[in-house]
Parts: sequence; structure tokens; C-alpha cells
Amino acid sequence: MRTRLAIGLILALFGWLYIPHSAVASAVQWSNALAQQNQESTGDVSSNDDEYEDDEYADDEYDDETALIADPLYGFNKGVYYFNDKLYFWLLKPVARGYKAVVPVEIRTCIRNVADNLRFPIRFVNALLQGKVRKAGSEFGRFFINSVVGLGGLADIAHNYPALNTSQEDLGQTFAVWGFGNGLYLNLPLFGPSSARDAIGRLGDTFLDPIWWLIDATVTRIAIRGGETVNETSFRIGDYEALKEAALDPYIAIRNAYVQNRNKLIQE
Amino acid sequence: MERRRIGWIFLICMVVVLLGPHVHAGAPTETIQARINQVLEVLRDPALKDEAREVKVEKIRAIINEIFDRTELSRRTLGRDWKKLSAEQQNEFIDLFNRLLEKVYADRVLNYAGEKVVFEKESELGRDKVEVQTNIITSDNKEIPLYYRMISKNGQWAVYDVIIEGVSLVKNYRTQFGDILAKKPPEELLEILRKKVNEGDTSS
Repeated sequence: MRTRLAIGLILALFGWLYIPHSAVASAVQWSNALAQQNQESTGDVSSNDDEYEDDEYADDEYDDETALIADPLYGFNKGVYYFNDKLYFWLLKPVARGYKAVVPVEIRTCIRNVADNLRFPIRFVNALLQGKVRKAGSEFGRFFINSVVGLGGLADIAHNYPALNTSQEDLGQTFAVWGFGNGLYLNLPLFGPSSARDAIGRLGDTFLDPIWWLIDATVTRIAIRGGETVNETSFRIGDYEALKEAALDPYIAIRNAYVQNRNKLIQE
Repeated sequence: MERRRIGWIFLICMVVVLLGPHVHAGAPTETIQARINQVLEVLRDPALKDEAREVKVEKIRAIINEIFDRTELSRRTLGRDWKKLSAEQQNEFIDLFNRLLEKVYADRVLNYAGEKVVFEKESELGRDKVEVQTNIITSDNKEIPLYYRMISKNGQWAVYDVIIEGVSLVKNYRTQFGDILAKKPPEELLEILRKKVNEGDTSS
């Protein structure tokens, strides 16, 4: 009973975060328009962008997408960014490094495969919710082959069959297919970049995650998720560092990369 | 007579169908494929294995410069802000931005560990523009979609954007540069870039 109440409260909170976005966005737009008008009236030539429209770069296909996501919670998100950053360098990375040194790659791959296979219900149900019957079929075939021939998912046998390889699906993507926008940008502690829509999706997906109904103790669930994260990170040490090094402003770079990457996944 | 004419029309249609897409779709893919193979040759060359890093980087840089349109890439990265820069600043920006990219990506390329490059398809984006879609298959069997956007100038195809897992390099940098230029003059952006290019590793 108490858990249900907590879930209800969290959903309500996310709902609240989601709804005001349109209001916030239009307020931002409005104030931008106002600022522009002011500049024009003061004769500020340097920011007069109108000539751009009919010059040689008019074919620029990216032009309308630069804003991408509203970020009214910038202060909060930026704080979480620093928190996650330190968490990675001080805890996750050293642990994943030690783990990588001790555990051979074959075993780490097996753990990754099992975790991936276990999440089949999330991908399957969401493919169906999006009306992607073929994709759901591929997911089912993949799950069946890997569970039976791949010994409970230890080996990713299905990988050898191109027809069974599909892109990831989750509830956030389902919402997007149903016509919901990102809402506002949310940087979640521990989980990283997200949006109001995808955060609600993530919450919903936990109920499709077998770990939710197979294991009762919260501590065990958290331990499993933590273990998975370390295992996954052991494959990716260096990626985050490279991304940070490439960026002039890592926060903005990550926010933008998140939205672009999600848009691609949604399209697939 | 009538039947013969239909036969001819059919034959012409077949030829168009069979040859058309290949003739049309080939050029950009072939261009980039040839260059990627050149880079892979350098990376696999046993004679170069023990050479200094700089020797290999120099060789790869020469190949990359052939296929990348540095000016187009830089110009699109700034978008409409491009015109805020003077001609001189634009030239410096092109130089600095490309040095930054080289600095960031050189090691990733040099860390090549037998990844395979699979050419998926080529899709048209508009007049004189295509996207060549490839998949990088890593040693642990993960697929990383990597698309090259190319533009044709005087019959030469050159890359103006790279899209990794849906994330466009140009778009990603544009949000960052745009954010800086919204608050600061171009000179300061150049100063930030100068520092970034000249500094040592600061990944932690």
C-alpha cells in the first residue's frame, strides 16, 4: 500500500514536471521574441539574422533543430551533472577498472548477455505498444533462441541472425511514438540525462523489468542494478572521458547528444 | 512491329532500372570507401607499427584532408553565427576547430583494434547531398552506426558532417558554439578554442 502511494506521488511529480513545459517553452519563446524586437529597435546590426534566410546556407537542414529541448531546470540539472561526473570518476570508474582487471572479458560478456536477455519484456511490450509487430516478433525469436540455445541468455546466439537484430525499445520511445514531446530536460542523479517523458517511461519500464517481480528485497534489486552498471561500464571506460575532452561545454554537449540519440532511436 | 517496340521499351526500362541506381549512388560511397581503406591500410601496416605516433597521424591527416571539406564543416557548425566572424576570424576558426577534432579523434582512430566497417546504404538528402550509412562492428560484436554526410562541389564529393549513433557532430558543436556566441564576442570563442587546442589532457 505504501509503495503504491509512493509510486503515485512520483508519477504525480513527473506529471507536474511534464505539463508546465509547454507554458515554460512559450514563455521562453515570447521573451526571446521580445529581446529580439528590442535589439532590432536599437539597431543592433550584428545580431540581425534575417539575411541568413536567402543566402547560400539556406539549404542548411539543421537550422530548425538547434534548440532541441527546453531546460528550465538548468540549475538543478547542472548540479546533478557535477554530482554524476564526480560519481563516475571517484566511484564507478575505479570500481569498473578493478572489476575489468579481475574478471575476464568472456564472463563480462556473458553477464551483459544475461542482463540484456532478461530485459526482453521491456522491448517486446514496447514494440507491441508502438504497433511494431514485426519487431516484437524479432524480439521474441531472439529471446527464445538465446534462452534455449544460448543457455538462459549466456550466449547471444541470435546475433548471428540479422533478422533478429533490432534497435532498443522502451516506454519513453513509446510515448514519443504516441505523440508526446520530450517535455523538459532532466538530468537524473545516478541515471544521467533524461527528459520528463523519458523519466516517466523509465519508471514505467521498471514494472516490466523481471527483476521487479522476481526479487522482493529492494536492497537486492539495487545491488543487481549496481552490478550491471559496473559490468556495462567496464566495456566503456574512456568513452565518457573522450566525450568530455571533445566538448567545450560538456553539459550542453551531453544534453544535445542525448536528444539527438533519442530521436534516432524513436525513428527506428 | 508493335511487339518489337514494346520489347525495346522494356529493354531500355530494364537497363535504366539495373544501372540507374548504381551509377547514381556509387560515387559518394566509392569515394569514402576508398579513403577509409587507405586509413585502415595505414593502421594495419606492420612497417608502421613501431613508428612514432606523429608519423601515423601525419599519414592519416593527409587522407582525411582529402575527403573532409574543412570549410564546409566549420561553416555549418557555426550556422548563422558564421557571419559574425570576420574573414580572418573565420580562417582561424577553421584551423582551430579542425585541430580540435584531430586532437580528440586521432587517438580513437589510432586505437583501432580490428573493427570492421560495413557499408549499409546511401540515401539522398537533397540537391548534391547524400548520407552514406556505415556500421562499425567492434571486437565485442557491438554495432555503432556511423553516417557520413557528403556534399558535391564541382563533381567532388566531400564529407561535411559525421553522425555517430544519431548524434551529428555539426549539430552538437553548434549548440555549444551557439551558446558561447550568444553571450560573448567571436574573439572570445577563438580564445576558448586556442586554449582547448593547446592544453594537455584534461579528462578528469
